[in-house]
Amino acid sequence: MSEYIKIQNLCREYRPSKKVLVAALRNLAFSVKKGEMISLVGSSGSGKSTFLNILGGLDWNYSGDIYIEGKNIRNYDQNYYRRFIVGTIFQQFHLIPSLTVEENILLPTRFQKNISKQKLNERLEYILNKTGLSDRRKHYPNELSGGQAQRVAIARAIIDSPKIILADEPTGNLDSKTGNMIINLLRSLNMQEGMTTIIVTHDSKIASQTDRTVTLVDGKNV
Amino acid sequence: MFRYAVQIIFRRKLRTFLTSLGIMIAVMLMTFILFGMSDLKNAVTSEFSSRFSPQDLYVSGRDMFMFGGMNTAPSKQDDVKEEIILNTQLREELEKIDGVISTNPIFTVSNVEVFLEGDDVPYPMNFVGSADLPGTHHIYNGFFGSDDKLDNGEIFVSNFVVSFFETSKKEIIGKKILVKSSNSSTFLSVASKSMIDKQYEFTVAGVVESGNDAFFVNTKEAMNMLVDLGGFTDENEYLEKVGYDQILLITEEGKTSDIEKYIVDELKLSVISTETLLGFLDTLTSGLTIALVIFGSISALVASIGIINTMVMSIYEQTKEIGIIKAMGASNSQVLIIFLIQSGIIGFIGGALGLGITFLGMKLADPFIVSILSKQGFTSIDKFFNFQLLNAIYITLGSILIGIIAGLYPARKASKIDPIEALRQN
Repeated sequence: MSEYIKIQNLCREYRPSKKVLVAALRNLAFSVKKGEMISLVGSSGSGKSTFLNILGGLDWNYSGDIYIEGKNIRNYDQNYYRRFIVGTIFQQFHLIPSLTVEENILLPTRFQKNISKQKLNERLEYILNKTGLSDRRKHYPNELSGGQAQRVAIARAIIDSPKIILADEPTGNLDSKTGNMIINLLRSLNMQEGMTTIIVTHDSKIASQTDRTVTLVDGKNV
Repeated sequence: MFRYAVQIIFRRKLRTFLTSLGIMIAVMLMTFILFGMSDLKNAVTSEFSSRFSPQDLYVSGRDMFMFGGMNTAPSKQDDVKEEIILNTQLREELEKIDGVISTNPIFTVSNVEVFLEGDDVPYPMNFVGSADLPGTHHIYNGFFGSDDKLDNGEIFVSNFVVSFFETSKKEIIGKKILVKSSNSSTFLSVASKSMIDKQYEFTVAGVVESGNDAFFVNTKEAMNMLVDLGGFTDENEYLEKVGYDQILLITEEGKTSDIEKYIVDELKLSVISTETLLGFLDTLTSGLTIALVIFGSISALVASIGIINTMVMSIYEQTKEIGIIKAMGASNSQVLIIFLIQSGIIGFIGGALGLGITFLGMKLADPFIVSILSKQGFTSIDKFFNFQLLNAIYITLGSILIGIIAGLYPARKASKIDPIEALRQN
């Protein structure tokens, strides 16, 4: 399928006050192939985060359409969508400090029923190996380096084998060496798991490591 | 999800514990009501049932409050209600009622001072009762003496009296009891001047097992004293002018309530039966229970406010976390449930602590309460508090429910948090 993700005329407007109307996205339209790893670049206020919130299933107040495998995402149950269709990685990692590495990774699975414990354990072991966190599984987030914390966030994003990985400035809080390691990890997961990956970044070096770059300017792709 | 909620709630152990203290106090009160009050009622009921036969009716010409020939101080009602003299004719009338086996007069010789031979201190209560033991009374759990028939010149005392005079049951038998007329003019009307300087002597012939003040002489002796003290010419004049204090009716089984109704409605006399007394006790314990339930409810309300406060604070602390779990796929209802589980756990901790402490307190206090009660004459009680599993389950469920209800508002608030806004928080 050539158009795995298809974004059509995506608009998002905010009204910070009665008289002010901010158009964060204006007829955004592009598509992503299955298994592709693309980067989304743009200056501050270009609409990158707004787009990521919409595609990540956190913001549903948009106009236009987003299709994944030909299905409009509005037709999904919102929680199912956030759980199984997309996995999101944040710049600030957003780990829960009172949970161990293992518990943080398994967090999304706490909210689903009828999950096989054996399969889940197998998946956890696989992911811990992949992300190199096996020896850190009982550690708490404050005992981890930035790179390790981001690997935990990646592991958590892929535990449910989502179809799409969204990474919002995943290297923004990391030094360049660690940032490269993270991008390499995302790349290898993209290759092995076949997950379509969208990385939002400021860093042109990182953007250059992806298959394609989509540039946003004032809420539109250019 | 449950495990996650538990982990959150135990992150702030001290706060969770302090919040649950409110529920704990409410539960302690409720537990005391459910266990203690029902036990108190059962204890008193069983004690009365063991002492008084349900077929006994105590009939009096005026309102009565207590058994054994003791009347309460005159009340306003006495002025309004005309006192009926319980004379020989009335006694005959009572005897004729269908189902009445026997009528037994009871006298109280009041305004007298009672001394033990060789002891200058009078007994604090100034009356002597009359009873023709055995059979007329059932209020004794035991008897010490050669025979329990009161002959002329004999007096029975209660073991409460024995301990007052600091002697023993064995030693008091055979000793003299002096009943002297009270010379205090406050008690004497002009017509009763004949009471002055009278003295009667009795020999202690037995000790009845009772926690109450009690001196008993036989009816004839009591009658003689009353005639003499009052300056009456004979028994007939006394009975015609003053009458019996009370008449104890022994009735046939199954006819007691009909007889009671007849005496009250037709003869306009006052009657106290075991049933009415138990009814009175029931009202008393119900009143106490209601008062305690109100206190319990107020503390439950205060505890609920505490839980609401804690949970609202917890939302502010957990806003970002709520955003994270929502981004990870938790639905609004799952966030709601997580918060309800937390408030339910606070309720449960409070409930369990309250139950545990009350249970422990009961275990420790029980022997003391039993010993106090048995000193008061409740000798058939060997255990006061009874732990009832079903009530414990109700209390635990109730405290969880209070927690959940208190958590509803904060939980709803938490479930509506916008994940985007929440994730922006630092």
